[in-house]
Amino acid sequence: MDNCTYEKLDISGLDAWFGDKQALKGVSLRIKPKTVTAVIGPSGCGKSTFIRCINRMHELTPGNRVSGVVLLDGVDIYKSVDSMDVRRKVGMVFQKPNPFPNMSVSDNVVAGLKLIGAASKKELEAVAEENLKAVGLWKEVENDLKKSGASLSGGQQQRLCIARALAMRPEIILMDEPTSALDPASTAKIEDLVKTLKAETTVIIITHNVQQAARISDMTAFFYLGELIEYGETRTIFESPKSPLTERYITGRFG
Amino acid sequence: MANEMEYITKINAEIHEMLQIVDALGERVQNALDSKRRGMKDAAYEASVDIQHREEEVTALCVGSLIKYQPFAGDLRAITVALKVSYDLSRICRYLYNITEVLEEFEVGACEVNDVSALLKDARSMVSMSLTAYFDKNRSLASEIIERDHSIDERYRMVLSAQRRAPFGSGDCILLNGLTARIIERMADHACYISSETAYLVTGRRTSYR
Repeated sequence: MDNCTYEKLDISGLDAWFGDKQALKGVSLRIKPKTVTAVIGPSGCGKSTFIRCINRMHELTPGNRVSGVVLLDGVDIYKSVDSMDVRRKVGMVFQKPNPFPNMSVSDNVVAGLKLIGAASKKELEAVAEENLKAVGLWKEVENDLKKSGASLSGGQQQRLCIARALAMRPEIILMDEPTSALDPASTAKIEDLVKTLKAETTVIIITHNVQQAARISDMTAFFYLGELIEYGETRTIFESPKSPLTERYITGRFG
Repeated sequence: MANEMEYITKINAEIHEMLQIVDALGERVQNALDSKRRGMKDAAYEASVDIQHREEEVTALCVGSLIKYQPFAGDLRAITVALKVSYDLSRICRYLYNITEVLEEFEVGACEVNDVSALLKDARSMVSMSLTAYFDKNRSLASEIIERDHSIDERYRMVLSAQRRAPFGSGDCILLNGLTARIIERMADHACYISSETAYLVTGRRTSYR
């Protein structure tokens, strides 16, 4: 990680509610560009809500509310930017691979681009190839590009979904437990991919696997009961956390 | 992680046995030095080899624990510190053996050894206290030991100064005192390393002593 002083994301006083229930309480943190940030914490601590506030997905559910400031490259995404534009800049990969089953492998990759009518057929093919190569899937599927995305293995489907997110050239990729449904070999491929992705993008990844957080992230944020308890360099968090709560969580005493 | 706690307990039990061997050897070497007696070298060598094997055992336990549990935070520090403490104990034992080598090597019957004897007594006490601080996770005791190192260093230099002024023809005594004082000064350093590791174990912050 370099000593860049510029913040890709600057979040301050972020609160989020599901109806009357407050899920996030005054979360403030800054994320530097081209880094991997791991978000850890026990179930129900607000991890997913937190990342869904970063691409304005939280507000999609009726009754949900958000307050506070989320600056993306210095611009408040809740004031000055259209929510669709935010989601184009901030891609998302979910826990369970979700390729569009009625689309081919290559169409899955360029589905977002097709939706906004951004490119010709030839360009779309080139984009599909480029992003399948970026996620290390090209050699495995180059002869099956017309097959359904659902025909791939779980690990391949997840990389296909990452390729789909990458095709939109996002500035940030949010990952919500992207390997929890995968076998160890597929998990290793995704972890390697996350490490290479940060050459171009900023990655924020939720994981329940603290060893995985330690392996792949530069920074780690620990959440508990909707609050950000500790945020810092991963090495520091996993070697000498400041908060006893963080210590107890990462050493498996609770959670 | 209960299993991991058991591992750390097992590692510390091994380190405790290492300390007992070092303590017992230290007392015997102290008596040998005080009485300028020879014949300790083989027993000291055996103890040194025993300690080395135990250090390897601690290393195996630590590596096994790292592989099996991939510990973090306090658990991780406990294992990395145990590795270093066992190494320091193995070095201290080796230094005690080195003193017996010196006793064996020179004609020391007529030498004045009060200063190095007192130095050894203090260094042994530092070693013992450093392990107490380690087992009790007592940061203030660890700091006290590190403070005492200045006094050991100062007295080591005083021994060397005194030997410079020694009369012509007392070569064996000069070598005995000079070499022994140097060995003891290194023993005290290792007691400080253990104390420094203890401070890291407790606080998570490293203050470079080594």
